[in-house]
Amino acid sequence: MMSAREAPDGRLVDAALRCYPARWRRRHGAEAAELAALLIADGTPAASIAWSYLAGAAREWLAPRSGRPLTALAAALLAATCLLGLSAALIAESAPARAAGTAQSPSGRVPPKAEPTSPGAASSSPHQLTPCRPVPHARSC
Amino acid sequence: MSTREQDVLRRVGEASVLVLISLAGGPKHGYALIQDIRQFAGVELGPGTLYGALDRLERLGLIEPLPADERRHPYRITAPGAAALRVHLDSLERVSAAGRLRLQPGGT
Repeated sequence: MMSAREAPDGRLVDAALRCYPARWRRRHGAEAAELAALLIADGTPAASIAWSYLAGAAREWLAPRSGRPLTALAAALLAATCLLGLSAALIAESAPARAAGTAQSPSGRVPPKAEPTSPGAASSSPHQLTPCRPVPHARSC
Repeated sequence: MSTREQDVLRRVGEASVLVLISLAGGPKHGYALIQDIRQFAGVELGPGTLYGALDRLERLGLIEPLPADERRHPYRITAPGAAALRVHLDSLERVSAAGRLRLQPGGT
């Protein structure tokens, strides 16, 4: 029996099957590939089979099951989102400071969030108002 | 417990019900299930949908796998599966009868 892997259209199906979790592939992988080969031989388009497996893989990853409850998945997604947000915030924060350090804008405008905490700490130099650590003669942070 | 609450199949989806109906006729593996469902229901079940339904029904204890025949894993319906299917089909029959009655001229 020709497996989906050996069939001309099998690569598409094989790629879709690789999207399933490892435990699913261990259990159903070989049978699923053989079933795909039989369906392709029957005249079912390989793209349709691959799409069905792809949708099944998405459901398999998203379905809550014992040992991997949805809350854990949600927490993992939340952590990933937080990390992305943190990275974006760090990049956004360093960009104006770098611009202030290199462009030396004639207006001397300073981002509002970089204001000092106490009024007495205000300084005439825009470099001291940036969130970067003050370094003598530094042009960027 | 109401009949509706007893019907555990009302939330598993059409594919799972079709798989269970097919297995009520005897144990089958994936390819035979797809062919049988195409024949009696005219529904082309995708293989991804089929494995999702098989996993769901097995988790619910409504079907069980039989020893593998080479790569193929046949499944069979369990006693609770047959009972659940009976309850579900009875429920569908009542709904169907009510619908037909209301479609008749002068039906309420």
